[in-house]
Amino acid sequence: MSNFLPCSIRNATACIYLLTALTVFAEAITISHFAVGQDPSSPAAPPPAATTPASDAQSVVDDKGDDEVDAEGIAFFEQRIRPIFAEHCYSCHSSSAKTLQANLLLDSSNSILAGGDSGPSVIPNKPDESLLIESVRYSPNHSAMPPDGKLLDEQIAALEAWVRRGAPVPSSEIASKIRTAIDIEEGRKHWAFQPTKPLPELFFVPPESAFPNAAAQQLPTSNSRIDVAIEHELTKHELSLSPREQQRGLLRRLKMDLVGVLPSPAEVFEFENDSSPEAFERRIDAYLASPQYGERWARYWLDLVRYCDVMEEWTETLGPTYPYRDWVVSAFNEDMPFDRFIHLQLAADQLPDARPSDRAALGLLGMSPSYWKELQLPVEIIKSIVSDEVEERVHTLSSTFLGLNIACARCHDHKFDPITNLDYYAIAGILANSKPSDVTLAPDLDAAAIVEARKGVKKLEGEMQPLLKSEKEEDKAKVAELQQRLDALRGTKGFDALLTPGVEDARLEVLPAEGSHGSKIVFEKALRDKAVEIRGNPNKAGETVPRRFISVLSHNTPPAPFGTEQASGRAELARSMTSDSAHLVARVFVNRIWKHHFGRGLVETPSDFGRQGTLPSHPELLDDLAYRFIEQGWSIKWLHREILLSNTYQQQRSFGAGDQRDPDQRLYASFPRRALDVEAWRDSILEATGELNNQIGGPPEDLSKIGRARRTIYGQVRRRELNDLLRLFDFPDPLTHSASRVPTITPLQQLYLLNSPFILERSDALIRRLELESVNDTDQRIEKLYGWLFQRSPTPAEWDKLRGFIQPNNDPQAWQLLAQSLFASNTFYFVE
Amino acid sequence: MNPFETSQTGGFMHPSTFTRRAALQSTGASLGMLALAHLLPNASASEKPNARIEPHFAPKAKRIIHLFMNGGPFQCDLFDPKPALNQFAGQKPPEADLRTERPTGSLMAVPFAFSKHGNSGLEISELLPQTASCADDLCVIRSMFTDNPNHGPALFMMNNGTITPNRPTLGAWLSYGLGSENANLPEFVALCPGRPVRFAELWSNGFLPAKHQGVYVNHSNLDPLQMVPFLKNARWSPEAQSKQLALLKELNLDLEQRAGVDPQFESRIHAMETAFRMQADASDAFDIQKEPETVREAYGKSHFANGCLLARRLAERGVRFTQVYYGNGQPWDTHSNHNASTKNLCADIDQPIAALLKDLKQRGMLDDTLVLWGGEFGRTPTTENSDGRDHNPWGFTVWMAGGGVRGGLAYGATDDFGFRAMHDKVHIHDLHATILHLMGLDHEKLTYRHGGRDYRLTDIAGNVVKPILA
Repeated sequence: MSNFLPCSIRNATACIYLLTALTVFAEAITISHFAVGQDPSSPAAPPPAATTPASDAQSVVDDKGDDEVDAEGIAFFEQRIRPIFAEHCYSCHSSSAKTLQANLLLDSSNSILAGGDSGPSVIPNKPDESLLIESVRYSPNHSAMPPDGKLLDEQIAALEAWVRRGAPVPSSEIASKIRTAIDIEEGRKHWAFQPTKPLPELFFVPPESAFPNAAAQQLPTSNSRIDVAIEHELTKHELSLSPREQQRGLLRRLKMDLVGVLPSPAEVFEFENDSSPEAFERRIDAYLASPQYGERWARYWLDLVRYCDVMEEWTETLGPTYPYRDWVVSAFNEDMPFDRFIHLQLAADQLPDARPSDRAALGLLGMSPSYWKELQLPVEIIKSIVSDEVEERVHTLSSTFLGLNIACARCHDHKFDPITNLDYYAIAGILANSKPSDVTLAPDLDAAAIVEARKGVKKLEGEMQPLLKSEKEEDKAKVAELQQRLDALRGTKGFDALLTPGVEDARLEVLPAEGSHGSKIVFEKALRDKAVEIRGNPNKAGETVPRRFISVLSHNTPPAPFGTEQASGRAELARSMTSDSAHLVARVFVNRIWKHHFGRGLVETPSDFGRQGTLPSHPELLDDLAYRFIEQGWSIKWLHREILLSNTYQQQRSFGAGDQRDPDQRLYASFPRRALDVEAWRDSILEATGELNNQIGGPPEDLSKIGRARRTIYGQVRRRELNDLLRLFDFPDPLTHSASRVPTITPLQQLYLLNSPFILERSDALIRRLELESVNDTDQRIEKLYGWLFQRSPTPAEWDKLRGFIQPNNDPQAWQLLAQSLFASNTFYFVE
Repeated sequence: MNPFETSQTGGFMHPSTFTRRAALQSTGASLGMLALAHLLPNASASEKPNARIEPHFAPKAKRIIHLFMNGGPFQCDLFDPKPALNQFAGQKPPEADLRTERPTGSLMAVPFAFSKHGNSGLEISELLPQTASCADDLCVIRSMFTDNPNHGPALFMMNNGTITPNRPTLGAWLSYGLGSENANLPEFVALCPGRPVRFAELWSNGFLPAKHQGVYVNHSNLDPLQMVPFLKNARWSPEAQSKQLALLKELNLDLEQRAGVDPQFESRIHAMETAFRMQADASDAFDIQKEPETVREAYGKSHFANGCLLARRLAERGVRFTQVYYGNGQPWDTHSNHNASTKNLCADIDQPIAALLKDLKQRGMLDDTLVLWGGEFGRTPTTENSDGRDHNPWGFTVWMAGGGVRGGLAYGATDDFGFRAMHDKVHIHDLHATILHLMGLDHEKLTYRHGGRDYRLTDIAGNVVKPILA
């Protein structure tokens, strides 16, 4: 698993350095790619570099129009000589060496010629008189270098050829700029950055089986391209799909997946008695059309974007965040095209065709975690906190949409993926020019004016409070005056309108506070590109990087600049995501949907599609789905239907050969069993008791106060302290992007089942429901309970146990205990 | 990662599978009895329903208390005196130019004096006068090193032997390898008066069955009912509840017969059994108010003192592995104002540590209880932000006491400035190998098959540090 948090200067969360060993600190310079001219003199010259590397891969020579320089010779140095130095010499003989040996530096022209303690290392044109050559030859009476083993003959020959040519080297000034360069063009070859393709033709013919007697070797029987791809792999392993799940189980699975609650006994009865071939499809469509579908699937999205209802207490915005949650719910319900879904979340304020209500989508950035800024501290420290905030936004955006953690490149080029340090600041620049601030969802209102008025009111009310009881005339006059001002402020247009955290284009600037050693924060409307923060330190500014898209994902080299002095560039960023990186974005999202239907993704690292992520189990299938997802106008409901209508989805869970040949169940020879997540579990309990309140949207409610029993998605999420139920049942930390929840089974969860007021009260409610429906006979009662909870009758063995439990006393307490046991049972907790 | 996707559902039969099933059946048949037994005095503590791997050899320690100084204390302030550091303060010799997380400046003097203590003459800083009175019990390893200068990866390394999350942590391995001494309490408890950085990833079961995950307890409120939520049932008598659970168990076993054995089912049945017993046992175990006032006073009453005392109560009741995280976030992360912070932090830990060691000794528990003290890494002898110290993975100190280690020993050495471990270096893998060894487990044999290979806590490394064994 490699969905790491970014490294962070202050918080110091996980930064994964190059290696798991300390060798990372022995920073040998390696040259992977330089733009140099062709070099005919090289005895085995590598092919010339095809393109100019991206702007950050500093060429050694390209900005040096110096006539005296032997360009070809320098090219030879870079291609043939420097790699030898870098690998074998620089750890002791360079400015980056930890301990310089013999005072010899081999990383700049002057120093090579000047030599070290033993004198000049190179006499140009005279290899046989050059110490360096004698040393690498291991000649007698010379230090044998490198000490850990003689160079290869061809390396020695190259060094000799270089000295013979006059030992040309780039000027030291330029050489000092050399650093590790990421080869962007090479990076584009990564599988996830390639265009998607429809399923290859060869999948539609029987594959070669590793097992000659494979019974399953036959043409695909399904119309579903998913099945074609899945069976293609299964056949290779002499496996096949399991038989179709029986109707009841299938409906339970389907409704749990799409809606997140149990089907009612009536729904099951109807479905089991509908023999038409379209019965299942009709259920899919009905569930997709139900408003509860959006609630189920919005919650998955909220995990990714660290949604919370209660932000940090020092947050500057005034409005509640729930309009964002409700906007996501309705986006799913109306099958908003996914590209549009992205555009609005990044730039609803800048898209001409966005509805005013779409500004709620800006909550993605509006509810970004805010870290405390103690303004008594100096500018340097506040700046690094601000940089950490920006980093979190880069992390969340890039992980959520691109399945890449760009934030890894804050301090250095990404160690695994072709993301440069400059790419980070190109994206960070866009976000650093975007300030979380309240927005309104109604047309023609000025959010800033409303915020101003509300803050003013709060202030005036504070002033007025102590005067209210005063009998003094002057105080009364003052109150009257304050009242007038209050009325004026309250008269601001839209004063009572709903505000919600969104974003506006403004640049945060940390400045020294006048008259103290502390800091102050101001917001500038004049936007700017961001300078590199060297090694992630905002107090060490490097070159300024134009706001733009990530190099390796851009169609253009270099990527076109975004934004202006008035616009942050969020709109262009959004558009680039769904154009330049459309195929990556589609793959990442398709994989997330797949994961929630099957319990695991085709790629098992849903927010890491980089080199550290796992490869897809079925790359052609992922490609095919992503390809068609885009073709289908990014329709999420299309994608659900495509998956749900496959035999792969509709098969049963079975213990069989698949378990041996596919121990990790990555081939889909059987449907996996999954524990309910906390939302589905709690909502299903409330559905079974008949208490579930299906009101959609609005302010959150405290889950520990269960009067109205709304769906769990409406339970209040406090960023700093989760409600017990959520905390115990794997709810993710709302401070950070969560790629997937890790399901756990713990005694503390079971204590909740044993003792929580919630469960005790639901048991009462379940029995109350029996009473309301006047079901009095023991067997009928048991039958009812099983219908509500499991949509079936008890097995004979269960009948024995249940009757045996109730019969001795047949009192209310026994029924409550029994109801609680059913809620706690494994049958209720798992879906398959 | 799905913790349930182990090979045990499949054809690669792990040696432990048989035992697991046998254990399941035996406990399955007897839940009602177990539940009833819990009502009788002293009946249940001897049950070991989920012990499955016998120790590989006779253990020296049966349980561990890990005092985790999260954030990383500076070794040369406390247990690794370096006169040269003060002598060269303000300079930056090449030896002191190691890369750490952030840029650091020149050497910064240590203003704290050291003196020799106990018969062993172990050198301990004036910051820890009471701990120093236990010098002859301390086995100080001055030559620790780890792989990453960043908190997250270093915390993972100390806990799970890799720089990534989602691997089983030491406590989970011990729970898996040794089972429970007291089935009525969790095998692995992580105490913290708040939330340490990386939180639940620090006590993850990784790919081991979920029941091996550590149980997090925030002990900033001392009411056991606050520490462990939903510990008491407001409605049912224990008798009613045990009947109820017997029914639940039968229904769950009936499901297994129809649907097949599934580790998820099994984990949940086990978790419920533990939960049931926790109601009584945890209320008692987590209630330090039951300690005599003299004991409370001996430990002190800070959060950390309470954590130490709780850890002793848990150890006493057979909890295999108790971690006490010093505090919320990472209090030992002194990037600035290092000396003043360290002084306060030490004042806070000194008395409780001494009290814990003496208390364990007095109860005869120190012989088979291993106490481990340390952070995820150390700090730099060089300065950061003029008065702070950066993370230092190159060299740092941990100490152990009790359960099979040589007391009064300073093992290994760092360089002249205390920056880098130089002699008898001990990697985290070596520390883990040694801890497992003390617990009677061969770190090369404690394996779990996952995703087609046998995993170990020590991966492919680790050597038992024999010279520190008693």
